[in-house]
Amino acid sequence: MTFSDSRRKWIGRLLPWLLLCLALTMVISQVHNPRSLISVGVPWARIGALAMVMTMIILTGGIDLSVASIVSLSSMVMGVLWQQGCPVSWAALAGILAGFIAGGLNGTLVILGLSPLVATLATMAFYSGLSLWISASERITGFPPSNLTRIAGCPTEYWILGATFLVALFVTHFTRFGRWCYAIGDNPLAARCAAIPVHRTQWCLYAASGLVAGLLAVIYTMRDGAIPNVHRGIELHAIACVVVGGTLITGGRGGIPLTLLGIVIVANVDIGLSFMSSSFEFFKGEARLVMVGILLIVVAVWNEWTERDSAKLMG
Amino acid sequence: MIQVSRNYPGVKALDSVDFAVRSGQVHALVGENGAGKSTLINILSGVIRPDSGKILLGGNPTDLADPVAARHLGIITVHQEAELFPTLSVAENMALTQGLPVKSGFVDWRTVNQNAKAAVTAVGADLDVHVAASQLSVAHRHMTQVAIAVQQKAKVVILDEPTSALSELESQWLFEQIAQLKAAGTGIIYISHRHEEIFELADEITVLRDGKNVWSGKKSAIDRAGLIAAMVGRTDSDKALKTKSPPDQRESGLGEKVRLQVNNLADVEGVCRGIDLRVTAGEVVGVYGLIGAGRSEFAQTLFGLKKKCSGHVVIDGTPQSIRSPQEAVRAGLAYLPEDRLRQGLCRGLSVRANAVLSSLARWSGGMATASAVRERSATQDVTRQLSVRLRSVEQAVGQLSGGNQQKVVLGRWLLTEPKVLILDEPTRGVDVGAKSEIHDLLRQLAHQGLSIVLISSELPEVIQHADRILVFRAGMISGEYDPAVTAPAEIAAAALPPLPDSLPDVETDTKSDVVHKRALPKSELGLLTLVVVLMLWLGFTTEGFFEPSSLVKLAHNTSLGVILGLAAATVIIAGGIDISVGSLLALAAVCAGITLKTEIPIGISLPLALAVACCVGALGGLLNGAISLIGHVHPIVVTLGMMSVYRGLVVALRGQHDINDLPQEFTWLAVHPPSGFRGSIIFAVVVATAAYVWLAHTRSGRHLFALGASPSAARLVGISRRKMTLVAFTVGGLLIGIAGIVELARSGSMQSRLATGWELQAIAIAVIGGVSITGGRGSVLGVVLGALLLQLVQTALIRWQIRGDQMDVVIGGMILMAVLFDLFWQRHK
Repeated sequence: MTFSDSRRKWIGRLLPWLLLCLALTMVISQVHNPRSLISVGVPWARIGALAMVMTMIILTGGIDLSVASIVSLSSMVMGVLWQQGCPVSWAALAGILAGFIAGGLNGTLVILGLSPLVATLATMAFYSGLSLWISASERITGFPPSNLTRIAGCPTEYWILGATFLVALFVTHFTRFGRWCYAIGDNPLAARCAAIPVHRTQWCLYAASGLVAGLLAVIYTMRDGAIPNVHRGIELHAIACVVVGGTLITGGRGGIPLTLLGIVIVANVDIGLSFMSSSFEFFKGEARLVMVGILLIVVAVWNEWTERDSAKLMG
Repeated sequence: MIQVSRNYPGVKALDSVDFAVRSGQVHALVGENGAGKSTLINILSGVIRPDSGKILLGGNPTDLADPVAARHLGIITVHQEAELFPTLSVAENMALTQGLPVKSGFVDWRTVNQNAKAAVTAVGADLDVHVAASQLSVAHRHMTQVAIAVQQKAKVVILDEPTSALSELESQWLFEQIAQLKAAGTGIIYISHRHEEIFELADEITVLRDGKNVWSGKKSAIDRAGLIAAMVGRTDSDKALKTKSPPDQRESGLGEKVRLQVNNLADVEGVCRGIDLRVTAGEVVGVYGLIGAGRSEFAQTLFGLKKKCSGHVVIDGTPQSIRSPQEAVRAGLAYLPEDRLRQGLCRGLSVRANAVLSSLARWSGGMATASAVRERSATQDVTRQLSVRLRSVEQAVGQLSGGNQQKVVLGRWLLTEPKVLILDEPTRGVDVGAKSEIHDLLRQLAHQGLSIVLISSELPEVIQHADRILVFRAGMISGEYDPAVTAPAEIAAAALPPLPDSLPDVETDTKSDVVHKRALPKSELGLLTLVVVLMLWLGFTTEGFFEPSSLVKLAHNTSLGVILGLAAATVIIAGGIDISVGSLLALAAVCAGITLKTEIPIGISLPLALAVACCVGALGGLLNGAISLIGHVHPIVVTLGMMSVYRGLVVALRGQHDINDLPQEFTWLAVHPPSGFRGSIIFAVVVATAAYVWLAHTRSGRHLFALGASPSAARLVGISRRKMTLVAFTVGGLLIGIAGIVELARSGSMQSRLATGWELQAIAIAVIGGVSITGGRGSVLGVVLGALLLQLVQTALIRWQIRGDQMDVVIGGMILMAVLFDLFWQRHK
C-alpha cells in the first residue's frame, strides 16, 4: 500500500466526522433550549430505527424501498381493527404482525429471484394502495392515550432506535448471521459455494425490516392516530443515512456504528437548517431537501472514490 | 509474425511465444487447458495487451489496442463462448460487428437483413436471421459467428474450439467454410482438442505448454503419439517419477474403509449422467477430463449446488440426501470451487472472514454468536499449516497473491474438518511454488485419512498425485486407470471426444425457426389481447364507451402515461434506472410556468416556455447520468439524491412565483374547449413516433439496446458506454420535460407536490409494457400498450367506485405480475 493511498483512505474515514462537527456546530449555535430537540428528533429516531435494518439489507447487496408503505399498512390495519371494536392491544399486535407478513412477502419475492429494487418498488405501491383500500383513505384518530408512547420520559421511538441499534450491532458484528451478511454482499455466489444459507438470511432481513416498520407504525398510531401514507419518503431518508454513514450501496462493506453516525449527521443537518431558516431566509424547507440530496450524492461519490483505489490494488 | 509475452501476477501465462500464420494456411494451436492458448488468442483479438513482444500483420508492426482495432485490421475471432447480444436479432448482431449500415440517417434494415441473409446463404447455414440471438442453439451461434468472419473477408480468422458444440453434419459444414476461407487467402488459427480434425485440416501445428512454444512445424513432421507427448510433456518412462507408495495406506489400515460411495449420479440438466464413484479413506482419486466434460457439474451436483435428478450418496456407510451445500458440509463434504474469484473468494473481506466462513458454528460452540478471538486463532493455525504468506489475518484477502488466496479457500474447507475433500482445479492460476506446496499438502492430508477427489485438466497433475484416475468424457466416465501402470497417452486419449456422433440438433432447431417470422413478439401480443378484452368488456358494460368523444378522452388520459413510460423505458433499456422522474417533471413544469407568467407577450413566451421545459428536463437527465458515470455511483443512489434536490428547487421556485391561471393559449395545448381538440394526444403521438424512429431505426438507438443487452459484447464492437449512457439519460430527461409541459397545460396550474411518486408509475408502465428491467429489451409499441392497459384498468376501477389514490394496489400488483411472468418465462426457456 502506497503512502498516498493510505492517506486517501484515512481522509475518507475522516469525512463523516468532519460533516458531523459541521452539523453539530450548526445545531448548537441555533438551539437555545436543548429539550426542544427531543421532540424535533422523533421522526429521525423513527428513520434511524429503519436505517439499522436497512444497513443490514444493504450489506447483503439488497434494498428495501417498501418500509414507508409497510408503516402505513400496519398503521391502517391497527386502526381499522380498533374501529371494528377490537381491543387496542390486539389491534396493535395485528398491526405488528401485518408488518412482519409484508416484510416476509418482500423476502419471498427476493428469494424467487426478483431484483430487490423492483420487488420492493412494486410492493411499495402495493402496500400503500392496500392501506388506502382497507381504510377507504380515511384517517382514524381518537385512540385512547397510552403510556406506551413515552417510556421513562422519552418518546418510545428513541427506545426502539436504541434497541434496534443494539440488536443490529450485536447481530452484524458478533454473530454468524452477521458474518453471512457481509459474505453475501461481497460475493453471493461464493457465499453459496461456501455453504451459507443465502436465501434464509435474505428472507430474515426483509422480514425484520417489516417487523420494525410495524412496531414503529403501532407507536405512531397510538400517539397520533392512523393516517395513511403520512410517512411517504422515509425509506429514502433511511437509505440516505446508511449511505452517508459510509456503507457501500453495492454491499459487503460498512456497518451499524457507521449508520448511527450517518443518522446523527443527516438529522443534524436537517434540524440545523430548519432552525437556521428562522434567521436566514435562504434556509427554508426546500433548501433542506436540496442539501440532503447533495449530501447523499457527494458522500456516495466520495466513498466510491476512496474505496475504489484499495479495490484496484486487489485486482 | 508474432512474438509476445504476457505476465500475470505470479504466473507467466505466456513466455516469449513465436508464432506465425501464413495466408491461405491453417495453423493449429494445440495444448492442454491452461497452456496459454487463450491468453494468446486474447492478445491477438485485442482483449488484453502483451507485456512485451510485437505483432506483425503483413510485415508491418501492429498495435492491437482494443477488440475494435483488431477487427478493423481484419483479425476476427470466433470465441468458444459466443459473444452475441442475446436480445437482438441475428441479422443485427452480424451488422453491429462492422457498424450498422446507415442510409440518409436511418439504419438501413433492408441492407442489414439482405447482408445477413447473403452471408448465411454464402456459408450454406440454415438459420433465420430475424430470430433473437438468445433463441439460437449453441451450434447456430457458432455458425453465425463464422458467417460474420466469412462476410467480412478477414485476413486472419481465429477459431477457438469451434467443433466442441457442433454435430458431425455441422462440423463438415465448418470444414467446408474453412476450405473456402483458405482459398480466399485467409490465414486461420485453429484451436481444437480433436486430433483427427487437426491432422485433417492443419498445414502447420504449434504446441504450447506452460506458456511456452514447445513444438512447432509442419503437420507431416509429427504423428499423433508425438503430438500427445509434446502436449503432456513427458514420455512413458516418466511413470517412474512417481514417488508415492500405495502400500503405505494399506499398512495404516486406512485403505480398506469406503468413505464415499456415489451411485448413478446425474444432474437435472443432464450435463453429467450415470456417475459411479468410490473413494476409500486416505485415497486420492484423480478426475481428468477436458473443460465441459461434466467434471465440475458432477462435483457441484454432489455438493448440492446443482439439483440432482438421480443418484445415491453414501458417506461412511450412512446414506445421505444432500439437497443444499449446508447439508453437504454437515455430511462431511467439502468443495473447493473451480473459479476462485467468482465462486471462492469474498475479495473485499479479510483473510479471517474468508477462512472461517464455512465453519463459523465450530468457533461458537454451536451458538448463534461468533467469537472473533477464536476465529482469529483458528485462522492463524490454518494459515500457518498451509504456510500462507500474509501480513496479518485481518488483511483483505484480495491483496494476497493467487497462490495464497487459493490456500485461504483451501484452509476454509480444512477448518470444517471434512471427511471428503473435492478439489476442482486447485492449482489453476497459482504460481509454481505454491503449486507444489498444495500438492505436498494433499499428500499429507491423504496420509491423515482424508479422502480426496482431485479434479484437474492437467494430466501430469493427476498422474503424479492421484492413486486412481477416472476420466470424464461428454458427461460420463469413460475409463478408470491406475497411473502407475498406464501410459499418459492412453489416459489423454480417453478424455478426447469420440468422433463426433450426429446429434439430431440440426433438424429440430430449424423447425422452431420457421415459427418466428416478422410477427409481433409474444409479450406485445399478450398485452394487445388484454387491452382488447378489457376495452370490449368496458364497452359492453359502460354506456357510450365507444363514442368518439369518450375514446378521445381515453386517449387524452393515456397520453401522459405514454410519454412518462417512454422516458423511463429509454433509461432502462440502456441498463440504467431513473427514480427522479417525478421531481424532474415538476421542475420542468415550474420553470415553464415561470416563463409563461413573465411580462413577455404570449407569442414569444409560449415557445420559450416549451424550450425551457425541454432544456430543464434534458439537462436534469444529463446531470443524473454524468454524476453516475463520473462518480462511479449506482444510478439508484444518484437519482435518489437528485430526486430531493429537484424537489427542493421546485418548492423554492413555486414559493416565489404564482403559477396559477396560466394563459389560456397555453392550456389550449392540452385541451381546446371550443373545438374539443386535445393537443395532448398530438404530443403523445409525436413523442411515440419519434421514439420509435429513434429506437428502432437509428444507429444510436440500436446502440442503446446493444449496451443494455450485453455491456461486454458492446465493448467488443466499439460502442462507448459513457456516450450511450449519457444519451439515454438525456433523452429520458427530455421526454420528462415534454411530459411536464403536457401536465402543466392539462391542469393550468401546479402544486409544489406535483408528480410525487410518478417515478413509480413511469417504471410500472415500462415494465408492464415488456421492457426488461435488466436492459436490452423493450419496444415503443409495448410501452404504449402498457400505458393504455393501466389507463383502462383505472377506468374499470373507477367504475367499481374505487378511488384514484387506491390505484397503487393495482399498479404494484401489475408490476409484480409483469416481472414474475417475465422471470418464469425466462427460466422456462
